Amino acid sequence: MKRPYRYRFLPEVALADVAFAAVGESPGSLFEACAVALTEVMVDRKTVRPAVVRQVRIRTNDVDGLLYDFLTQLIVLKDVDSLLFRRFEPRLSRDRRSLMCRLAGEPIDRERHRLRNDVKAVTMHMFGVRHEGALWKATVVLDI
Amino acid sequence: MPVPPQTKQVSEVVWEIPTSYKQGMNVPARIYATKKLLEGMDQGVIEQVTNVASLPGIQRYSYAMADAHWGYGFPIGGVAAFDPEEGVISPGGIGFDINCGMRLIRTNLRLKEVRPKVKELVDLLFQLVPTGVGVKGFVKVNQSSFEEVMRWGVKWCGENGYGWDEDARMVEEGGFIKGADPSKVSRQASSRGIQQMGTLGSGNHYLEIQVVDPTRFFDAKMGKNFGLVHDDQVVIMIHCGSRGFGHQIGSDYLRIFDGAMKRYGIEVRDRELACAPFSSKEGQDYYGAMACAANMAFANRQVIVHRVREAFQKVFRQDPEALDMHIVYDVCHNVAKVERHSLDGASRELVVHRKGATRSFGPGHQDIPAPYRQMGQPVIIGGSMETGSYLLLGTARAMADTFGSTAHGSGRTMSRTAARKEVNGETLQRSMEKKGIYVKAATYDGLAEEAGMAYKDISEVVETMHEAGISLKVAALRPIGNIKG
Repeated sequence: MKRPYRYRFLPEVALADVAFAAVGESPGSLFEACAVALTEVMVDRKTVRPAVVRQVRIRTNDVDGLLYDFLTQLIVLKDVDSLLFRRFEPRLSRDRRSLMCRLAGEPIDRERHRLRNDVKAVTMHMFGVRHEGALWKATVVLDI
Repeated sequence: MPVPPQTKQVSEVVWEIPTSYKQGMNVPARIYATKKLLEGMDQGVIEQVTNVASLPGIQRYSYAMADAHWGYGFPIGGVAAFDPEEGVISPGGIGFDINCGMRLIRTNLRLKEVRPKVKELVDLLFQLVPTGVGVKGFVKVNQSSFEEVMRWGVKWCGENGYGWDEDARMVEEGGFIKGADPSKVSRQASSRGIQQMGTLGSGNHYLEIQVVDPTRFFDAKMGKNFGLVHDDQVVIMIHCGSRGFGHQIGSDYLRIFDGAMKRYGIEVRDRELACAPFSSKEGQDYYGAMACAANMAFANRQVIVHRVREAFQKVFRQDPEALDMHIVYDVCHNVAKVERHSLDGASRELVVHRKGATRSFGPGHQDIPAPYRQMGQPVIIGGSMETGSYLLLGTARAMADTFGSTAHGSGRTMSRTAARKEVNGETLQRSMEKKGIYVKAATYDGLAEEAGMAYKDISEVVETMHEAGISLKVAALRPIGNIKG
C-alpha cells in the first residue's frame, strides 16, 4: 500500500500566507509530497479526477531551484490552462538538476471542485531542500 | 513581541531601533505604532525591518508602518528608499502582487437608495467580475495588445472603451509607470497575465460597496473636495493587483537576483531579500518588468471599474455619468518608484520601495492630480470586510518624515488556518448580513479566513498615522456589500 504523503502545514510561520514542511525517502517522494501540499492549498484534491495527463520537464542548476521551478510550474498550469492535478510522478536525474514529471488532473470545475486559495507564488523565505540521514526534507512558504 | 531594549521612543507613536541593534545595519529602523500596536507586532517585524536597514544604499531609515506584520524579506507595511547609484532594488521590497492597490469610486446615491438593491448589485457584480482560483478575465487581449497594456496601463483601457477620458489622471502616476519594458517579461509571465485582465483574485482581495459613515466623517470640507458631499453617500472600493502576471515576474526575478547577488558581492540575511544594484542590468531589467506588471494592475482595476459602472447602470437604470461615478483616486501599495525627495537639504532622486505601504504626498506636489494638488493626495486604506476602510489625506509631514508614505490597511493578527478553525464561513456570512453587510464569496473557507477578527483594529492603525501626521483622517467608509475571491 502507498504511504500517505508526508507534509504538515505550519500556521505559526506565515500569518497572511501558507507554509508547509514536507519529507520524503527520496528526492522524488519529497517533490511529490510538496506538489500534493501545494495542491491541497488550492483545492480539496479528493475532488479532482485524474482525467487529463500532462508532462513537465525542468532543468536548473541545483535541487533548490528544481523544486522552486517545479512548484511554480504547477501554479502556472493552474493559471494558464486552468488545470489542477490529483497525481504527480516526479522523476529526478541523478545529479538532481533536472526533472520529468507526469501529472494527472483535470480543468477547474467550480461546481465539483472544492476550491480553496489562489496561490500567487512560491517564496524563498525558509526555502530549501535538505538531505538529513535517510530523509529528504523541504520547507516551503507560499504567497496567497 | 518583546521590544529590543535599545529601542528609543521618538514620539508618542514613533519608535527607533539604533544601528547598534544588529551588526551591518546601515541606518536605524523606525516603527510607527502606539505602544499597544508595537507590543502586538510579531517578532518578524523587528527582524525584517532591521534586515532591510542593512541593505546597500538605504537612505535615512528603514520604516515599518502601524499595520506592519511579517512579510517575505521586507515586512508588510515596510518602506525603504535607496540611492539609485549606490543602492539596490529588491522584489521582496515590493511583493509578488506588484501594484496591488486600492481604488475608490464615488456615486451620488445615498444609503436609503442603495440598501434595497444591495443584493441585486452584489449578485450582479459577482457575475460580472470573475473571482477565485484559476478564473479567466472578461477582457480578451492578444500578445500584441497585452504589451500595449503593459506599456500604457489605464490609457490603453480608455482607448479601448473601458473607461472615461478623465479616469487615467485620477490614478497614481496618471495610470501608467514610465519605463515599462515588455521585452524584460518572460513568456510564462505573459501567458499567466494575458487571461487575467478583469479578475479580482482571491485572498484578501475584494470589491466592496460602502457608505460614508455619518458618525466618522472627520473632515467634511476635505471630503467635499474629493466629491463626498453627503454623510451617507455610497462609494465603491476595489482592492486587487496584477494577478498571476505580477506574481510570475516576482518569481522570475527572485530566481535571477538569487544568482546575481554573488556577482555583485551582496550578502543578505534572508533569501527573500534578494536584490541587485538598481543601476545594474538585472536591476534595470526588473524595474522594466515590474513597471509592466504595475501598469497591468492599473488596467485590471480600470476594467473592473468599467464593469462596476455597467452594474450600477443596469440596477439603477441611469447612466454612470448621471450617477456621478467618478474615480476619487487609485493608490498602489506594492511598488518601487523613482521619486524626488528632499534629503539632507538637497533634492534627490531615490528608489522608494513601498510594500504594503501607500504613497501619501502632501499639498502642492506636482504628481497629485490638479483638482487635489493644493490639498494633498487622497490616501485609501482598506480594512477587513467587517470593519470598513478609510479615506485619508497625504501631508507635508509625510514628505519630510517618511518619503511621502503611510500605512495601507489593517494587517493580519491571526493565521489563515487559525481563522478557519475559529470561524465558519456560512455562519459568518449570515452574521454579516444581520449587521447589514451582504457578502458573496468564491468559497466559504476563503470568507472565513478574511473574518474581521483575523485583522488588527484598523481604527488604531489610522489613528496612529493621524497622530504621527503622515496621513490625516477624512472619512471612514462602512461596508454594505462585498464580493470576495
